[in-house]
Amino acid sequence: MATATITAEMDVFRFDPTSESKPRYQRYSLELPPHAPVLTALLKIREETDPTLTLRYSCRSAICGSCAMLINARSRLACQTPVGPEMERHGRIVIEPMGNQPVLRDLVVETEPFWRQYHRVEPYLKPDPLRPMPVGKETPMTPTEVKRFQETPRCIACGACYSACPAVTADPEFPGPMALAKLYRYVVDPRDGAHQDRLLRIQTSGLWLCLRCHLCTEACPKDVRPSERIRDLKELAIAAQGVTEPGSRHAVAFKDNIAEKGVLNEFKLARQSLGPSQLLGQLSQGVKIRRRKPELMKKPKPIDGHAEVVKLYELLDSDEEGTP
Amino acid sequence: MKRHDVVVVGAGLAGQRAALAAAEKGRDVAIVSKLHPLRSHSGAAQGGINAALGKEDSAETHIYDTVKGSDYLGDQDAIEFFCQEAGPTVVEMEHFGTIFSRADDGSLARRPFGGAGFPRTIYAADRTGLALLQALWEHLETQSFTLYEEWDLTNLIVRDGRVQGIVAFDRRRGDFEELAAKSVVIATGPFGRVYARTTNAHSCTGDGVAAAYAVGAYLKDMEFVQFHPTALLESGILITEGARGEGGILKNGQEERFMTRYAPHVQELASRDVVSRAIATEVMEGRGFPGKYVHLELMHLGRELIESRLQEICDFCRSFAGIDPVNEPIPVMPAQHYMMGGVGTNLRGETNIPGLFAAGEAACVSIHGANRLGGNSLLETLVFGKQAGLAAAEFAEYAPAAVLHESDLEAETSTIRAMSNRTEGEDPQRLRSELQALMEGLVGIFRKPAELTQALSQVRALKERFSAVRVVDASKVYNINLTDALETGHLLTLAEVIVVSALARTESRGAHYRVDFPQRDDKNWMRHTLAQRTPSGPTLSYSSVAFTRWEPKERVY
Repeated sequence: MATATITAEMDVFRFDPTSESKPRYQRYSLELPPHAPVLTALLKIREETDPTLTLRYSCRSAICGSCAMLINARSRLACQTPVGPEMERHGRIVIEPMGNQPVLRDLVVETEPFWRQYHRVEPYLKPDPLRPMPVGKETPMTPTEVKRFQETPRCIACGACYSACPAVTADPEFPGPMALAKLYRYVVDPRDGAHQDRLLRIQTSGLWLCLRCHLCTEACPKDVRPSERIRDLKELAIAAQGVTEPGSRHAVAFKDNIAEKGVLNEFKLARQSLGPSQLLGQLSQGVKIRRRKPELMKKPKPIDGHAEVVKLYELLDSDEEGTP
Repeated sequence: MKRHDVVVVGAGLAGQRAALAAAEKGRDVAIVSKLHPLRSHSGAAQGGINAALGKEDSAETHIYDTVKGSDYLGDQDAIEFFCQEAGPTVVEMEHFGTIFSRADDGSLARRPFGGAGFPRTIYAADRTGLALLQALWEHLETQSFTLYEEWDLTNLIVRDGRVQGIVAFDRRRGDFEELAAKSVVIATGPFGRVYARTTNAHSCTGDGVAAAYAVGAYLKDMEFVQFHPTALLESGILITEGARGEGGILKNGQEERFMTRYAPHVQELASRDVVSRAIATEVMEGRGFPGKYVHLELMHLGRELIESRLQEICDFCRSFAGIDPVNEPIPVMPAQHYMMGGVGTNLRGETNIPGLFAAGEAACVSIHGANRLGGNSLLETLVFGKQAGLAAAEFAEYAPAAVLHESDLEAETSTIRAMSNRTEGEDPQRLRSELQALMEGLVGIFRKPAELTQALSQVRALKERFSAVRVVDASKVYNINLTDALETGHLLTLAEVIVVSALARTESRGAHYRVDFPQRDDKNWMRHTLAQRTPSGPTLSYSSVAFTRWEPKERVY
């Protein structure tokens, strides 16, 4: 089949830390059909021009998770991203290694930090000794139980979410979206006997550090929606253990605060989230804000249509659909 | 030098299951893999895993279907054991944490598959391999073992009549290292990359199979190459048999459901060799679509079923072919998919070399004979991975310590290091492409003696050129130009064995179809091919097929 081709202008990140002092970008121009994936382009470069171009790849069908990289600054699988739309949108295709992981060479990153976080959530079944699995038979499950986690094996651990996550950049101790989505999978698994312990521990080790920016969900090539799974974990944690952590206090306070006037009372939010003793520690910050933005310290008036807001809250509270 | 009791090469389902079995026996286990275990090609298996768990079904019918599917070349004692282990194996994987699809009553859901008398394929949507791989890896991580991640096997070391260890290449540091081992399990999967059009991952280059052959292991039934009927036209990406199991139909360019002519009873759900030959025949005789392909239609199944039970392939079609299977037919053609052949083993995974074991697609027990049934390969990795792990653990318990000499590393890697020292020579990627093109053209679904002879001389010419292969990348870090060369060498070795074995077998059985001998010949060919390395090429011998209760019959679907 004859297909029209386009010229893909590729600017590829090159760096061998053992022999080069700084990275460079190398330009390659290739003739390809517009639907050809970026991986095909990179392999063509390796075959025809430069066999030293270094990357990870294997299945070429978005199932092994090897070829995640930055394509025009977005964390994507090279095998699943066609060159045509990238050229149309950006006029060139900039290829760089994933973010949040040190570069080993060219497009290959050190994945150790990513896997360390994965291991931290103890991703394996911890059966409940009081509820042994049936001998010689599958564990029974209700359709509701199955529905909660049947999509979770879609995760191919490609690391695109980890690469895209600003909370990982800000705090390397944040477990990252993949590890938290994996934790969710075990917390809703009816065969697992450690739900409470898992939730308790994640509350104090990173769950509330998520910035809720949803960049992970945007990056995920398999529609795992890690940010939604993190939200589910937070709801499960509050439901099981109450509002005990600064993170959960902040989340609940935010909700209650807005309900009152339909607009955020920032001064009150600080008090609600932090509690009296921690608030004291923020005193100097408070003085600074009062000087620069005095309006933040004023009590807001109820907005027009506050009644609508109240109705919305009632509706949301009565809707059980969103709860995992 | 590092030292372990059991070294497992390959970290897909077979390797992991072997490692689990050996670790549970208390052995010091190491896994060597060129990919992170979760990136193994087992994860690409889509359709499901067979176990006769239905009330109306039985291990007995599973055995019969497998024997018949194998075109009576499968060893019946092995098949009986294999099918009896199916139920417990699937249940064990469920207990390890596999997230299978469930029926409304909460039991494991089952779908019909090709060549099977009952719906007995347990599945996890159309990502069954991935679901199993995650569960097994996560379960295995509760055990103690050493993982050599992104290490390539280069050689096996055999001395004094037994395995003593391996030599491997650490991609990240660029060093070769010896690992001493009392026993070694080869679980490196297939070598589909000898073909241009294959559903296999780029990493499927048969490293362990080639290494085993190099030290004298028998390679069994290498002429039997399975072509999957439905792979995406351009990319060769697999469209699961589950698509036909769920009710998908095949149509030729005249909009005719042609399978009714080839398999009047079960149409699209005949075994894979039958369906692939039917598609190839339609296209060859001019009844394909222009561009030479047929259509797989799912539209009549409805959006809800397609998007839930065939979610991944729905995504594949949309991402990789720009086609929405909810609304339009999928253009497909057969592509190389599975190697029935491999390192010859018995039921315990033992090879002809003491201390060397093999399991999974790298091995040939043989349960698939001349043609594998869909849903039997995932099961094989787990059933025989466990057996090989147990046998390797037992061997290591009684074997004296492995002995490696200081000169081993130097001797074993001198040819490889020479590749990097050449100032001119052959490009490994070019040799690989030429190999893939010639195998695709000359050693495909329909085999002609003249073409096989031509293929053999071309493969040998490429092997000759490979002796001057050059690695231009001089870096120590993650040098995939070097691993290209290693892999190309393995593929050339294995391609030669495939062609020699195919030339010798003058009959048609299962996936091996000789146009000059279109009939099965039980009198002369009811036997396994065994290929062994000599300096001038493979030499062939034959072994008998184990029969228990099933007399050979004509295969009709």
